[in-house]
Amino acid sequence: MPDTTIANHELNLASQSVEAKNTNAAEISKQLRANRHKRESRQALLKHLFLGFFAILMLYPLLWMMAASVKPENEIFGNLSIWPSAFHWDNYAHGWNRMQVSFTTFYANSFLVTILSVIGNLISCSFAAYAFARLTFDLKKFWFALMMMTLMIPYHVVLIPQYVLFLELGWVDTYLPLVVPRFLAADAFFIFLMVQFFRQLPRELDEAAMIDGCSPYKIYWAIIMPLSLPAMATAGIFSFIWVWEDFLAPLIYLNDMNNYTVPLALRLFVDQDSQSAFGQMFAMSVLSLVPVILVFVIFQKLIIKGIGMSGLK
Amino acid sequence: MKKINRRQLLQGMVTGAGCVAAASMFGSAAFAADTRIRHFWWGNPSRDERTYKVIDLFKNANPGFDVAGETIGWGDYWTKMATQTAGKNMADLVQMDYRFLFEYVHRGALLPLDEYFGKTLHLEDFDKSAIAGGMVDGKLYALNIGSNSQVMIYNKRLFAEAGIEFDPIKWNQAEQMDIAKKLSASTPKGVHGIDDATMNPIVWEAWTQQRGKTFYADGKVQAVAADLESFWEYWKEMRESGAAPSADVSVANLGFKMTESGIVTGATAMSQFWSNQIVGVQSLMKDEIGAAMLAHKKGGMPGQFIKPSMFMALTRDTKNPELATKYMNAWVNDPAQTAILGLERGVPASSKVRAALEPNLTVSEKVSVDYFNAIQSSVGPLPPPPPKGAGEVNAAFIRMGTNVILGRISIKDGAAEFIDEASSIVERAS
Amino acid sequence: MRKFFVRNLPGYAFLTPWLLGFFLLALGPMLISLYLSFTKWDMVGDPQWVGLAQYEYMFLKDKRFWQSLDVTFTYVILAVPARLAFALMIAIVLDKGIRKIGIYRALYYLPSILGASIAIAILWREIFNIDGVVNAVLINFGIQGPNWIGNPDTSLYTLVVLAMWQFGSPMLIFLAGLRNIPTELYEAAEIDAASKAKQFFSITLPLLAPVLFFNIILQTIEAFKTFSSAFIISNGDGSPADSLLFFTIYLFNEAFTYFRMGYASALAWTLLIIIGLFTAVSFYTSKYWVYYENERD
Repeated sequence: MPDTTIANHELNLASQSVEAKNTNAAEISKQLRANRHKRESRQALLKHLFLGFFAILMLYPLLWMMAASVKPENEIFGNLSIWPSAFHWDNYAHGWNRMQVSFTTFYANSFLVTILSVIGNLISCSFAAYAFARLTFDLKKFWFALMMMTLMIPYHVVLIPQYVLFLELGWVDTYLPLVVPRFLAADAFFIFLMVQFFRQLPRELDEAAMIDGCSPYKIYWAIIMPLSLPAMATAGIFSFIWVWEDFLAPLIYLNDMNNYTVPLALRLFVDQDSQSAFGQMFAMSVLSLVPVILVFVIFQKLIIKGIGMSGLK
Repeated sequence: MKKINRRQLLQGMVTGAGCVAAASMFGSAAFAADTRIRHFWWGNPSRDERTYKVIDLFKNANPGFDVAGETIGWGDYWTKMATQTAGKNMADLVQMDYRFLFEYVHRGALLPLDEYFGKTLHLEDFDKSAIAGGMVDGKLYALNIGSNSQVMIYNKRLFAEAGIEFDPIKWNQAEQMDIAKKLSASTPKGVHGIDDATMNPIVWEAWTQQRGKTFYADGKVQAVAADLESFWEYWKEMRESGAAPSADVSVANLGFKMTESGIVTGATAMSQFWSNQIVGVQSLMKDEIGAAMLAHKKGGMPGQFIKPSMFMALTRDTKNPELATKYMNAWVNDPAQTAILGLERGVPASSKVRAALEPNLTVSEKVSVDYFNAIQSSVGPLPPPPPKGAGEVNAAFIRMGTNVILGRISIKDGAAEFIDEASSIVERAS
Repeated sequence: MRKFFVRNLPGYAFLTPWLLGFFLLALGPMLISLYLSFTKWDMVGDPQWVGLAQYEYMFLKDKRFWQSLDVTFTYVILAVPARLAFALMIAIVLDKGIRKIGIYRALYYLPSILGASIAIAILWREIFNIDGVVNAVLINFGIQGPNWIGNPDTSLYTLVVLAMWQFGSPMLIFLAGLRNIPTELYEAAEIDAASKAKQFFSITLPLLAPVLFFNIILQTIEAFKTFSSAFIISNGDGSPADSLLFFTIYLFNEAFTYFRMGYASALAWTLLIIIGLFTAVSFYTSKYWVYYENERD
């Protein structure tokens, strides 16, 4: 809403109140509230229209995917219509048990890896971030620069040395190469993200706590963590989604199909040189989104919780 | 030239990383090396199902031994394989493709099989030509587990509606041009006669062999720019007459994925494939399909050849080659196992196995076997093994073809530039 | 001595997991790749030392290297600002005074959840096909669009659009940042009758600066390293005609398709230096526009 209209509104209200000298103060404020309410609901409607338009663009691919999961195989390509000519719901049941190992196992594996990784990420990255953002120590800038450097190297080029390392440790075909690095803060993205949030928290809090005799460990746990709920929720959601969808590391490190995660299993459906089962692949892809969407919807509320905390400042 | 052993390098890395303790703690990973082999293949749901069944059969017949089946889709297979190769942790047996076989053999990642002949490996029933496809420098490095050849798959309904009759084995390129034009004219708008092969290195290779050259000879590029010009001119006429789809449609479907091919989407009446794909194409289509050879050059040499579609190969990282070759042997000879595997990976190289499969073929499998039998006398010899870098040359061909089809470079310049580029790629790779 | 420990102990204690990870998992492989960049290694035999030959070939002879730089820089310059502007705009609209915000947030995050799956690759081709949705809309304005992905002149822009469309993660980070801005500041500004634009420039932007900075740095790094979506849409090799030859796609193929790990490592370190330079400059200039609340140094 342009500022001028708001100003005009303000002006109108002012003149109205001047004219209505006789009316009592209560009525004026009632009028004010009503006008304001009207203005706000009009704004809200505009916002909803604007947001709704984009939401459709955002939703289209998911709808397309869901449609593809029940379409006859030859309608998936070269066909823009979302509505299938026939519904092949059995793609879901068949897809679930299509492989030698059922998707129940793939899901269990994925949950195990993902949950452990999220925990690892949140603990180890917040430790490192707390050190970088709130503590002083020698060589801090040096370590920070190295941390940033690990973000910049293309992953594919360190893949083979890492593979050889884990092979020597006897970790190939176990989940250790997928999980252990997360407990050692290997995802520098989250460290940097948390650093940026931690640095914004008021210094006075630490100082006051310090004077009260709190150790840095206590400050981390009792002050920084509770105040950083939005940041931790954001990091948690991202790391859940990214680990859940991670494909390359499981591809390299897992050999036995019994150990496969969901994204890896999805790759078993498609073979470009011969018959593929695209319908079943899409059906399982749709299902693989369910945990991700649930986690997002449940935990995004924690991001909102930030409002309550900001009162502290 | 200073050489550093990879293992030394790793040890240096581990020590430098202060990880000695951890390495010695976990280093002695317990792999039951003697009784267990790993078999790694690229697959699809149907192939995986068959292969795991075969593995179970083998395990039941050989108690005390274990076979671990490992599988993933084609695109990811080579990434994983390269990583395992670099880590000296290849599976004992790997599935190989003709394109990659020589890259791996030349680099020393595979072991020759000759010493197992007559002991654990019995190939008496194999076609001589099928064995030859896996030979490098006089030694057999890879066992043929299915043969195929180039094929033009056509939509029988569209051909009948256009009133076209032709000899799918003997037809020539002039006839192909006429048929494609006729099809485009008689089919509904938007349906064309044939998929444009301007960017298709497989069709181009056949074209150059029809003109008496092979793509490579003696590890060098033998194909010449003049032939490539005539190839691209031929397809330009197809395109400009409307017999093939417009350039940007062809470029958009560049992946050569079966599902995006013209015949499957209904955009064209003919598409080029490998013959082991016939069954797959039919499963995606309602109309009945037929199989024709790539059109011949009138009075020219045979352009097509029969090649192994897939191999099984023994890697240098194997710890139990006897067991591995025994497994291999059962795979290609054991009647129970070959019955399960069927034609899924291509036509089996053993005449005995083929005879056993014959009575139980499905309709589309029969199309594929009949085609295979019909072309035997019209194909040429297998071209010499491609040099290192051949895969990269294919990619370069597709790139240049894209530029040509879109008119970003003239056919004359494009052809000359490609031959140059191919030569320098092969040179750099050797 | 005691003082030294008191000063350093808490910091290093908290840094321990990362330090362990860095020395055990990251440093070794990085140094090895640096070493390999001075060698020729086909991943089967042993690496052969060739000095600077890989770098020499890259800069002096390799046309595809320059093409990949061209593609990558064009993408970074277009996609990063577009995606960030979009993410910030939506985050601001979502931040205040709107009910059902959770639904929108989830909807807007959807495209990012779909990530770089095969499904997205297929869908993107369908949308930008000659008879796809985009052209169906354009025809209403009398424009007959090309086949966007099939045409080397336009294919890169479809990926820029994809990047814009998957703006979920920077949006979420912006939102978390906006949530950290005390509402009292806006209330005070309302009382002072500061305009919305003024509020944006004098309150929102400065207080959002650390998060904005994070997003700029990380999105740029990610954009330089773009791989999955481009890989899957370009058939894995940057086609058509190298128009989607992103740096990392080139690198990947050199390593895993053509067995030139030495050259791929040289490419990786070249990219690292490019990104490193950009990041260093950003950190240096950030002193002038990113302020951290109550922070001294």
